[in-house]
Amino acid sequence: MKKILFILFLVLAGAQTYCQTKINGNVVDVKGNPIVGVNIYLEGTYDGTMSDENGSFEFSTSETGTQKLRCSFISYETKIILKKVSEMKGLKIKLREDVSSLDAVVLAAGTFNAGDNSKVTALKPLDVVTTASALGDPIAAFQTMPGTSTVAEDGRLFVRGGTAEETQIFIDGIRVFTPYAASANNTPTRGRYSPFLFDGMTFSTGGYSAEYGQALSGVLLLNTINTPEQEKTDIGIMSVGGAVGNTQIWCANSLSVNTSYINLKPYLNVFEDRNKWVQPFQVVAGEAVYRRSFSNGLLKLYTAFDSTNFELIQEDINVEEGISFKLKNHNFYLNSSYKGVLSANWSVLAGLSFTAANSAYAISKSEIENKEESIHAKLKFNRFFSNRFQVSFGADYFLTDFDEFYKEEHISEVAYGFQNKFGAVYGEFNVFFSKSLALKGGIRAGYHRFFERLKISPRVSLAYKTAENSQVSLAYGDFYQNPTNAILKFEQDLKTPKSQHYIVNYQYNNDGKILRTELYAKKYLNLVKYDTELPQYNSHYTSNGTGYAKGLDVFWRDNKSIKNVDYWFSYSYLDSQRDFKNYEKKAQPNFVNKHNISLVAKYWLEDWKSQVGLSYNFASGRTYTDPNKQGFLNQKTKAYHSLSLNWAYLISQQKILYFSLNNALGTKNINGYQFANNANDFGQFEKRALRPAADRFFFVGFFWTISEKGTDNQLDKL
Amino acid sequence: MKKIMTILVLSMSLTLTAQGTYEKGMQKAFGFWSSGKTTEAANLFERISSAEKNNWLPLYYAAQVRVLSSFGLKDETVITANLKAAQKNIDQAFEISNNNAELLVLQALLHTVWVAFDGATYGPKLSGTVYGLYAKAHKIAPNNPRVVYAKAEWEMGGAKFFGKDITPFCKDIQRSLELFATFELETPFHPNWGKERAEQIANDCK
Repeated sequence: MKKILFILFLVLAGAQTYCQTKINGNVVDVKGNPIVGVNIYLEGTYDGTMSDENGSFEFSTSETGTQKLRCSFISYETKIILKKVSEMKGLKIKLREDVSSLDAVVLAAGTFNAGDNSKVTALKPLDVVTTASALGDPIAAFQTMPGTSTVAEDGRLFVRGGTAEETQIFIDGIRVFTPYAASANNTPTRGRYSPFLFDGMTFSTGGYSAEYGQALSGVLLLNTINTPEQEKTDIGIMSVGGAVGNTQIWCANSLSVNTSYINLKPYLNVFEDRNKWVQPFQVVAGEAVYRRSFSNGLLKLYTAFDSTNFELIQEDINVEEGISFKLKNHNFYLNSSYKGVLSANWSVLAGLSFTAANSAYAISKSEIENKEESIHAKLKFNRFFSNRFQVSFGADYFLTDFDEFYKEEHISEVAYGFQNKFGAVYGEFNVFFSKSLALKGGIRAGYHRFFERLKISPRVSLAYKTAENSQVSLAYGDFYQNPTNAILKFEQDLKTPKSQHYIVNYQYNNDGKILRTELYAKKYLNLVKYDTELPQYNSHYTSNGTGYAKGLDVFWRDNKSIKNVDYWFSYSYLDSQRDFKNYEKKAQPNFVNKHNISLVAKYWLEDWKSQVGLSYNFASGRTYTDPNKQGFLNQKTKAYHSLSLNWAYLISQQKILYFSLNNALGTKNINGYQFANNANDFGQFEKRALRPAADRFFFVGFFWTISEKGTDNQLDKL
Repeated sequence: MKKIMTILVLSMSLTLTAQGTYEKGMQKAFGFWSSGKTTEAANLFERISSAEKNNWLPLYYAAQVRVLSSFGLKDETVITANLKAAQKNIDQAFEISNNNAELLVLQALLHTVWVAFDGATYGPKLSGTVYGLYAKAHKIAPNNPRVVYAKAEWEMGGAKFFGKDITPFCKDIQRSLELFATFELETPFHPNWGKERAEQIANDCK
């Protein structure tokens, strides 16, 4: 027994003292400064400690052999040292800063982020629905950012002297072919897709990633929500229609369905506009999102259908009784994507979108019907080497099949169209040299069947942090985009239009305040020219068009200085001339404003549970050609002003009442002029001002969310 | 026989020391925490978790220290870094113990830090998520006093904001107090907080 006790004593004592090895060392940052508070321990054991104010540490362990010593500290990269315990003495450990931390440099040239994951957020997802002038349209919300022009009668995004077609829209990385709803002339269009589907948005006005092609001026990237929060039913009753939505969640699946019906007839009965409506604007729309999460990935299936029709008689200076215009449009869109993790360092994105659009127009006595079917297939791989270095590469395939039929009295039907196949591959890397210096470089190669040519576009972007809260970015890129459908349906033997972007960006970001200024220059080559008023089957087409744009964009946002007030201010200076389409010579196009100003402010009234907002938009005049005077695009309209107001009243957590009034002051804006084809008796060409259909627009909506005792509301749906 | 005895005693004493290390470690970490040394506490909890591969508690506390110490901070960079580390702890803990109501409550608390930091930005964005987490926790453990109390406090905040009646939530708080009174801890280190706060709210209800 004594023997047992003795052995036991030995063993126990041994366990305490036997083989205790001391581990010690010192932790410093890249500059050699000690780091205090680093957690240092042998993985899988209790043995460890924390570095002191000199960065020194020491602890004992009974472990032997080769072990993993883990050194981790918030905002630094974790370091693991694999060594024999006996050799872990006098260690000199250098930790590198975590480049994904909030105060690290960002590749910012050309880009505005709207999302919670972005470090510098110029526009928050909620802004889309709380900006007075936007009326819940993401496109309209981005029009308050600098770099966009005010083309009030159009409604699409015009970026830095580019036409609307030069800015492409992507949902979950997959191209949207027909992003804008059908609308009558002189009535601005809206985006087809409801804002509440998205939780992250990036708007780039130049110098964007090699991942995105077929856009000469800009890209708008919309990301759909990954997982809805709860099951609910949404009901919206509006002055212009109604909407119902429902979300169901089961296991790893979720399904959201929304339907809406918009009819402007009751509104137009009360507030008449300048058009003579035969059949007021009417849209039936439905969309559904199905999501399924797998252990290593997420599948999203988004599908939308809408059907629009209207008929009206529009004023025309050459036709006294006006021109009748009738449109029926059906649009189907399917977007499927799978995002998955393949292994610890590899991830994949595979996506496919399909669009089928059908429009039937009746304009005066002619009838035009067109059908577009487009596909975008995409595959992208991402290799993660570290926080500091990532590589991605992928391939795109686009297919568009376009057919048009033209019918007129006494003329038999004419059919024409084209099929456009286009493939591209790209590769890109992202490298952080330190917390203050980052570089992104990429290359994209596109091959076009028509043009039988390989087009290579390099893109590069560099960012350097100049001080704690400020940084400078540079970007350069070449961009190619095929001519639009309007041209391709008649002529395909053309060069690919090209643009080059040069960007210098300075950004200051501190405590709720963002200042962003950007200088840019842009060059256009191979723009399409033709010799008729509009592109026609018998026009003569060339690729000799050129153009340039240069300017300055300023953005300021502040949500801290004034209590309960969040505001932003954008100013854009744009100098752009082009010689394209049927231009006689290089001139400032009519979609360009030299000066653009936007001011958006929101004020939260605590006692009233209300948010009131205003947005003011100023744009200097746009060019037009006055045939009574010498020259081409020789005149400018007067400046554009619009002040919009809104008021969101939260009746309860789930009920919201919303009012908005666009162009509250009723400013009589003029978008341009139409001149008579023939001179009158005095040798003058008479003119007609192109005005918006209505000066003001008034909207009231009541939104009600029903969820199990929920707190959710549709503030994000307005 | 003697040999068997030796081995038996030996192995018993060894398990006892292992148990002791965990308890000592946890106690030491709680000591750091109660004396305001949050970095030390979080670091130690994290070290314990590295040895206790199948125990979610050290990770739970490492995250909780980081979440609670982030309330009231003004520097977004620091909050982001803290909560990123806390989120990592919570994610790891969920891998050990899926469908854990206590972890769901902690996750909700983490989001609440953002709502408290900037209500205008994060309130509309995260309130649904937070509610969803409490609802899920309530489904799993309807009689966990912390779940009942935390859910009620969150809902009460919303009701107060909209000037609604808070009595139904006062009832829930009252119920949580009854549950707190009879709540049995699985181990001495299982989460056991919330009673004082619930009592305080119950007082305000009167």
